[in-house]
Amino acid sequence: MSSPTKVWEYRTWIGNLARRELTAKHKRSVLGWLWSLINPAATLVIYTAVFGVFLRIVPPVAGNGTTQSFALFLFIGLVQWNFFNAIVNGSMQGLSAAGGMLSKVYFPPESPAIANMLSALVQVGIESAIVIIVLIVIGNVSWTFVFLIPIVALIGVFSLGIGLLVSVYNIMYRDVQYLVGILMQMLFYSTPIIYPVTLVPEDLRGIPARWIIENVNPLTAFVGAARDALYLLQPPSLSHWLVMLGWSAAALCLGWWAFGRKAADLIEEL
Amino acid sequence: MPSVVVEDMSKRFRLYTERPPSLKHKLLSFRRGRPREHWALRDVSFEVPEGSMYALIGHNGSGKSTLLRCIAGIYQPTSGTVRTDGRISALLELGAGFHPDLTGRENAYLNASLMGLTRREIDGVFDSIVEFAGIGEFIDSPVKHYSSGMYVRLGFAVAVHVNPRILIIDEIIAVGDEEFQRKCMDHLYSLRKQGVTIIVVTHSTGIVRTMCDRALWLERGRPLMEGTAVDVANAYLESVNKAEVEAVDQAEAAAEEEGETFLRPDAEFRCTGVEFFDGDGNPVSMAHTGQPLRIRINYHARTALQRPRISWGVFHESGIYLNGEYHYWPEDHSGIVEGDGWVEKRFESFPLFPGNYDLSVVLDDEHVQHNFQHLDRAVRLPVRPGPTTEPFGFVQLDGPWVESPDTTAGSAGSAARVRS
Repeated sequence: MSSPTKVWEYRTWIGNLARRELTAKHKRSVLGWLWSLINPAATLVIYTAVFGVFLRIVPPVAGNGTTQSFALFLFIGLVQWNFFNAIVNGSMQGLSAAGGMLSKVYFPPESPAIANMLSALVQVGIESAIVIIVLIVIGNVSWTFVFLIPIVALIGVFSLGIGLLVSVYNIMYRDVQYLVGILMQMLFYSTPIIYPVTLVPEDLRGIPARWIIENVNPLTAFVGAARDALYLLQPPSLSHWLVMLGWSAAALCLGWWAFGRKAADLIEEL
Repeated sequence: MPSVVVEDMSKRFRLYTERPPSLKHKLLSFRRGRPREHWALRDVSFEVPEGSMYALIGHNGSGKSTLLRCIAGIYQPTSGTVRTDGRISALLELGAGFHPDLTGRENAYLNASLMGLTRREIDGVFDSIVEFAGIGEFIDSPVKHYSSGMYVRLGFAVAVHVNPRILIIDEIIAVGDEEFQRKCMDHLYSLRKQGVTIIVVTHSTGIVRTMCDRALWLERGRPLMEGTAVDVANAYLESVNKAEVEAVDQAEAAAEEEGETFLRPDAEFRCTGVEFFDGDGNPVSMAHTGQPLRIRINYHARTALQRPRISWGVFHESGIYLNGEYHYWPEDHSGIVEGDGWVEKRFESFPLFPGNYDLSVVLDDEHVQHNFQHLDRAVRLPVRPGPTTEPFGFVQLDGPWVESPDTTAGSAGSAARVRS
């Protein structure tokens, strides 16, 4: 297991790795980094059309008391989800891609996942900036915006832990990436991103569906907190903070531990 | 104080006969199909004193590269310990850590940061990296367009400029051209003088003897000998030579069995074989540079012949003709040959440098009017290093050096002086 100090020693390398990822991502494309805007915009348009217009999901009223925009409601949640999704999938790809190098030069094997998190942070930064600009334009503004920073940081930590965990097992068993693909889809729809949680029945043939989504799915707290801060303009509740903190710490510890335990064997198999 | 200490280190690999193992396999087989175990290194111990140069030698697959990876921290030893003191810069593979789409400049920065340098530190040494690599304007081209020589030059340049305390180099310098190799060696030498500890894997016993202080000889993962570089290199060389002698003897025995000899029954005068002997007359199958050697040409004459001409030639295996000569029957010899006999060329000190040579034997009549037999490059003569030499080229060029007259006062004043 690489100690955090070892990782800190390699910070320049990790930073370079992140930068390399960002530059390599858009090499040989005409629109270049514009794709990092077009992609979420397209998703937003599709989801808004399907769920907001066709299925008429009604969002709650925003913190300024007048705005009631499904697109905004959706986009705030989607940004957090995209961040989580990018880290988990990117960690797996990053480790596979850096794999050959790990057997030739020493660096903490956690580096690709951390670098990937940093480059995903740039993306979430861009998307958040756009959300905030739109919010300012329509006049839904409050000091609660500052909560977004710790929320994003906690999602980053949580996702990194999950990313480390799945990426190391993905090297050993390639089945993991397919499994993760399915689980991510299930997780996406069981998180109140495209619907308000109030839409979920309390009791679904004896299953406490809403309770499960609110208390078992860790992403509900993250998405909910981001909506509190940006859409409803209220500070996230203490219980939200505790849940986020707990999940982040647990995921990181578990991921780091599992990764460190398996990483040494893994290098020999690459 | 030693900067690298390896204690009772062993490294085990698990070899999966069928890979990659799938989750399904794992779930269904309940850990049957256990992987085969392979001990790449077994009970290896040695110390490398700070500021010294240490060589790892051994045949392919003896575990040298695995040992380097363990020292570099890439592999974790299965048992035992590896302790290192200071920043390690490892050059284990050609362009390891290079990204093909990035330019040489970007890769140099990436690679140097991989060795733990901050951006500012890299800025400070970047110019000398470019200069040392000698790849000029190519520094701003993607490295995927580089030749393998340029790859290794840039890689080496970065590795030696990151101010390591310990430098680990697998045998990759050999990729560069002669000039670059020499530059590398010079640079390694100066790094060593600055107190950098250097560990190399090499197959060149010349490098081991001339540049290294100590050496470890690995055989199938086990340490066979550890000691001063010269002793280990000599012992290694001796064993390699011995193994080859056996191989050559076997090949000859096989050839004889197949009846592939020099027999040419119809010829009146024929060569029946070429044999090699050492200075004491013991048969040998190869020559050693600087050692006594006798080359005996056996012949058989069906009828009595007057002063037949026996000549031989030496070719390098690359086809270059080196020399050849006639044998002359001396005045006090009747010069009449009949039946079996031989002539022998004797060397006090065999002059050819290590390599493989081929001998031709030509048998003619006295007036070189009739050719009895021409065996073109029919006999292989392997030449191997003697105990004292490790030269390159073909032959030792003997002869004194002479200087122009000494202009300072008190000189002998003669025109030219020959030094004995």
